[in-house]
Amino acid sequence: MKTAAGAFLGGAASRLLPLSIPFRYFGAALVYHLLAWLALLAGAAEFSHFAGGLGWPLAALHLVTLGVLVMTAIGASLQLLPVATRQSLPSTFWPKLIWWLYTPGVAALTLGMGRGSPALLGAGGLAIALALLVYALLLARNLAPARGMPGVVAHGWAALGCLLALLATAASLVLSYLGLPLLDRATALALHISLAGYGFMGLLALGMSYILVPMFALSAAPEERRILLSCALAVLALALAALAAFGVAPLALRLLAIALGTGAVLLHLQLMRQALRGGMRRAHGADFVLIRVAWGALLASLGGALALVCAAPLDMLAQLFVLALVGGWLLSFLLGMLRRILPFLAAMHAARGSRRPPTASSLSAQRPLALHFACHLLALALLVLALLLDSTLLVRLAAVVGALGAGAFGLFFVLLLARLHGSGSARAAASRAAP
Amino acid sequence: MSQVSHALDTEHRASLELLGRLEQALARAPRGASAGDHGFDRLAGAFVRLVEQDIARHFEFEEAELFTRMAAAGDSGIAALLQEEHEAIREVAAEILPLARAAAAGTLDGAGFEQFRRGTLEMVERQVGHIQKETMALLPLLDDLLDEDTDRELAFAYAATG
Repeated sequence: MKTAAGAFLGGAASRLLPLSIPFRYFGAALVYHLLAWLALLAGAAEFSHFAGGLGWPLAALHLVTLGVLVMTAIGASLQLLPVATRQSLPSTFWPKLIWWLYTPGVAALTLGMGRGSPALLGAGGLAIALALLVYALLLARNLAPARGMPGVVAHGWAALGCLLALLATAASLVLSYLGLPLLDRATALALHISLAGYGFMGLLALGMSYILVPMFALSAAPEERRILLSCALAVLALALAALAAFGVAPLALRLLAIALGTGAVLLHLQLMRQALRGGMRRAHGADFVLIRVAWGALLASLGGALALVCAAPLDMLAQLFVLALVGGWLLSFLLGMLRRILPFLAAMHAARGSRRPPTASSLSAQRPLALHFACHLLALALLVLALLLDSTLLVRLAAVVGALGAGAFGLFFVLLLARLHGSGSARAAASRAAP
Repeated sequence: MSQVSHALDTEHRASLELLGRLEQALARAPRGASAGDHGFDRLAGAFVRLVEQDIARHFEFEEAELFTRMAAAGDSGIAALLQEEHEAIREVAAEILPLARAAAAGTLDGAGFEQFRRGTLEMVERQVGHIQKETMALLPLLDDLLDEDTDRELAFAYAATG
């Protein structure tokens, strides 16, 4: 019986999409990463007291969530899921169409948020909704006939369900700015946050980890039964949180949801710990420091959620909760994984038909990565401090440091492409020169 | 786990352990150093044995007995990928083997040491990636590919070449 990661590696060579497909998503995500920090700089004065409504803090948040997180999740899942489920994509037309709808959609939506323009917000929201619906269809088409890997597939289905519900809440929130609310704003907002952070993005991140972490650590695949249990606990937690958002026993159900969600996360982290400890190769380096920070932030976000439900007397609690969930957990995790996946994918492409392809490390520029690592962690720490001290100056400093780190990550990506192109040209020249 | 899987897995672990030690020693060594300066000779000697005997024997066995069975069972994609990686590793190994022998003999100069460091780090990365794929894809598949008798025969035959 093949392991999940084994099936992944086994199918990777034959199911690689053209590099331009996943890399256009990753490239756009890195541009939006930089824009997110710049939007935060523009909205620094409002950041500490932000409690909803249009403005640059909301734009910065959505440049991260839609521009970086969902953009990367689409690109990664379009490449990784067909390999993992051993199902091919019907054609490259659909991933291209999604990108062409989604990327300008995010630009319009976030510009509409930043400039307070409901028309731009509506137009961007429509393009994003269409793109995500096409993506949802592709995802469902890929998951339905999937063979093996029930744990990863279950996470995929749960994430897909959350995505559809998330789109409904997003539509309600956007339409409320156009005078046509579908749901009560507080209900829509509560659903939107849990379905986006813990639902769609959270479940995809947890599911993909069961392939990627054992593969990088060279360890056995985690036990499927426990993966499924973690997934079931997470789904149950999300369902209870949704019921609570509609006003059904809100305090009791929210507390129960947090308890179940914490159980799901602890089980997941235990499986990850086993994979890392049992691996033949120590998973070290800055990538895994970021991933470990992300896991810590995930737990901290659940602590923050509990404090919010219990109405703990701490200023800025809601902002700290969102920072832990989005910046600490999802962004750190995703950037940590991207640092590994980008050179890995590039090297897999370079290996096609090549006798001695470049290694992943030879394609990676280490200095920009080191700068990004330091800047990312410093920017997050400065934001926490800025919220605790209610300091606009520290928010601005965090935004500048974060933008520097995002620029460094972007440079790493550009250099990766240049090195890949260079290695291809060198190999072509060598093969022409060969007798 | 089949007997063949067990034998290959044991060799993978030993190989990774030695490569890890070599990688650390190379990372610690200052630039422009020569092999003799760092008590490197014994480690380099173990590396020479790994390349000359273990890897050559291990690769030949996999190619002759296992990749062919994988391809016949419909997994030709991964078998071809693993074969290509063998070729790349052999090419790197051929480049660094004379340097490793010189390092083992304590006669490697500073320039040769830098060349040895670069080549060895490339070899370590390729070997780790390759073992990663074999551990995840090849070894679990052997339980399905080999019946008990074939597994026993192959394991004996492989042990006899050691």
